[in-house]
Amino acid sequence: MSAYRTHMKIVGEILTTARDDAPDENGASVTYLIRKANISHVRISKILGTLVSQGLLEQNDSRGACKYKISQSGREFLVAYQTFSKFADNFGLTI
Amino acid sequence: MVFLLENILNMIGFAVGLVIGIMSYIGFKNTGSPTLFRLAIAFFSISVGFFVIWTGYMVDDFILKTGQIQRWVQTLGIAIQTVGYFFIAFSHTIKSFFPKSRYFRSVGYVPLFLVSFISIEHIIRSISFILLVYGAIETIVSYIEGRKKGALFVAFGLALLALGEFLAWYSFVFPETILYPASIVVKIAGLLLLFVPVSKVPLTKIKFDKFEE
Repeated sequence: MSAYRTHMKIVGEILTTARDDAPDENGASVTYLIRKANISHVRISKILGTLVSQGLLEQNDSRGACKYKISQSGREFLVAYQTFSKFADNFGLTI
Repeated sequence: MVFLLENILNMIGFAVGLVIGIMSYIGFKNTGSPTLFRLAIAFFSISVGFFVIWTGYMVDDFILKTGQIQRWVQTLGIAIQTVGYFFIAFSHTIKSFFPKSRYFRSVGYVPLFLVSFISIEHIIRSISFILLVYGAIETIVSYIEGRKKGALFVAFGLALLALGEFLAWYSFVFPETILYPASIVVKIAGLLLLFVPVSKVPLTKIKFDKFEE
């Protein structure tokens, strides 16, 4: 049985995929992110919209397909997320 | 001797609570995580609670000179700390702590009007003890699942705080014994253990940009 993931953890996984596992320099497609983050299309669409509006992801149109690339703000957010995730781990908590 | 230990405990409690509270708040501001927000409230409350008791001792030492902290000040400080312990336990999700029936809820308020400050202090200490034990057990469970060393430090820190709270409560039965100073020393050790993993968090890597919700 898979463990329950918080919204924050899913956001962290999407950003980590966009930073570390993007297939090319244009970024990762929605299908790729869905597969890597193991999340439904409806849910990821909402999250991606929020991340783009907050400037953590950049949306690129590459050959008719929408691709997502992590921004500088996204990279900084990810560093903060990973640091405070470890901080919360010390208290036996998940952020 | 006890006065000195009390002051050391309260200053360490104030400082440790403040540092962890500030770090949790920075984390909340950077990530928007509600868990970190609850943790910030918890440790700010613990810090304020220790500060209130420390102020009580100082006021008595320099102004009132009765040789004893005012009972209501001590009760207030412990109550504020208990709010902090509640938020730590709440972060581990307390599902059904309070009685649900209307009758029990109404009865629950009655003792507050019947008992003295000493009794209230006993009640608050016992609640603190329960919350700290709960927090320690949940943190141990998290350690078993994740094997993160930091969680072990925090679990033992909370456990020592619980033991300190228990000894402090038990010292009412045997006053003028080693129990009360021992409870203070145990609590100081608990607070220092809480601080160990937090001191290793590399905050220097973080750029403190503002992220809007």
